[in-house]
Amino acid sequence: MRLRSVIRWEFLRTIQSKQFLIMSLLIPAVVAVAIFAATAADKGAQQSLREPPPPFVVALILATILFMGAFLSGVMALYSVVKEKQGRVVELVLSSISAQEMMAGKVIGLGMAGLIQVAVWAAAAYFIAGRFTPISLAGLGPVHWITYPLYFVLGFMLIASIYAATGAVMKDVQSGGATGLVGLVPYIPIMFSAFIIENPNHLLVRIAGFVPPFAPSVMLLRVGAGAAPAWEIGLSLASLALGVFLTMRFAARVFEIGLLMYGKSPSLRELWRWGRAGRAR
Amino acid sequence: MDRTALRVQGIVKDFDGLRAVDGISLEANRGEILGFLGPNGAGKTTSIRIILGIFEPDEGGISIRIGGLTGRLVKERTGYLPEERGLYSDAKVLDALVYFAELKGLRRTDARQRVLRWLDRFDLLPWADKKVEKLSKGMQQKVQFVASVAHEPDLLVLDEPFSGLDPLHQDLLKDVVRELRDAGAAILLSAHQMNQVEELCDRVFLINRGRQVFYGTLDEIKSRDGEHVVRLRFEGSAEPLAALPGVENLAIDGDRASLRLGRGASPDAFVRSLPAALTVREFSVTRPPLHDIFVRAIEKENREAA
Repeated sequence: MRLRSVIRWEFLRTIQSKQFLIMSLLIPAVVAVAIFAATAADKGAQQSLREPPPPFVVALILATILFMGAFLSGVMALYSVVKEKQGRVVELVLSSISAQEMMAGKVIGLGMAGLIQVAVWAAAAYFIAGRFTPISLAGLGPVHWITYPLYFVLGFMLIASIYAATGAVMKDVQSGGATGLVGLVPYIPIMFSAFIIENPNHLLVRIAGFVPPFAPSVMLLRVGAGAAPAWEIGLSLASLALGVFLTMRFAARVFEIGLLMYGKSPSLRELWRWGRAGRAR
Repeated sequence: MDRTALRVQGIVKDFDGLRAVDGISLEANRGEILGFLGPNGAGKTTSIRIILGIFEPDEGGISIRIGGLTGRLVKERTGYLPEERGLYSDAKVLDALVYFAELKGLRRTDARQRVLRWLDRFDLLPWADKKVEKLSKGMQQKVQFVASVAHEPDLLVLDEPFSGLDPLHQDLLKDVVRELRDAGAAILLSAHQMNQVEELCDRVFLINRGRQVFYGTLDEIKSRDGEHVVRLRFEGSAEPLAALPGVENLAIDGDRASLRLGRGASPDAFVRSLPAALTVREFSVTRPPLHDIFVRAIEKENREAA
């Protein structure tokens, strides 16, 4: 009931903000106009692709969109958490609900807004790409339709909660420093996407599919390549869900304890202690 | 019937090896305003945060009993006006207040109605659809107060509720606080203006360095040292007063004098022993104001600790 109120509040605040409207509508519009303007001048480009792209290309595009969207809503989560701390709203909020509820509400609410943004982008990408290549979703089977949304939603929540935890550690937006780099961990597999697509069953790739921060992108690519057996998908989704839960809980605890900290950022050792401790100490 | 709404038992809280709260115990009753006083950095805010369930204590416990509710559900029945004010500054006043009331478990429609009633009470209705940041500091203060009471809490914690308000609004706020008390709420009031504490509180708790300095009714605290303050206007010479038993700190300024009657020196004996050479124009014997008691108690503590 209260969690629903938090989700609703964070969601509405986000989609009503100027940044959100600019990011989700203006950017695709500008990109579309730019591409059409460029290709109208060069007739040859329109004829360049005749063959529909294989499913792994769709997977790669989706993975990229996922991470761009997740990155943006992650940054929004980070700002939202830091602002809450600076704006002193947090005392009032925590006298009504637990830090866990607050974090969960933020991550889900911002995640929903981010997914809408991603849906707009995906639709725009589909529309734009359709002008140049006979792109088709027919190549996607039931396994894609079931697993992609799950990886999308969980991947989104994981990245948003990693950023929320980062925001909980930071004392203000300026003092990002090394803590900001934590949010980049889930992107690492994207750098190795060519390797993953060519060797979808390499042992390292299979293991990476079970590691929460890497799971969404690795598994999107493996499923796209048609290489992941059902049990591996199930296990990786479960570990991803667990990862989301643990990150969110860690973020909540750090946030709670961070309330007491004025003016200094905690050391890694302190963070570890806080995250493990059952309560604020 | 047991009127106890809040029972705090020996709470202890350490931060980074420093003891912020060191074994505080107190009770707050329904229909009563308890003054929670202490100098800056005494452990007040930490205690309040523990009471409201924002922090867990390292030792000791809190029990809140409100209408048969105990445990986490109680957060719905508590209200908090934090000293560090904060509202979503880019949100509209009404939206933010309805959201906070929802967090206290009210339904949206109900929350909205109650918030509008409170906004009306504080003449804030014309600002309901304005952003919080557009309001003056005093108005934001009133909005913050509404956020703490819109759900009609049974335990209300007010941290410096009067700071930043003009005298008119201070009076309005006092009236509202008294009404809430009469309606049966237990109120914990933390403030630095001792005259306001004297005006509103039934009992007070003084905390310093994380420990209790004193705790009791205003009456008990004022009688504790058995001291009195005497002020007079006179003609003639007031110097001989210094020789009377129990007289301390005699200060003479023109035709005015003030002095303190120490423990055991009764006002009655003092009046009877006034020298005949002194012609008294005005005269008052009072027990020391809370302000003086506060200052002296803290100074004494800090001297002993040094």
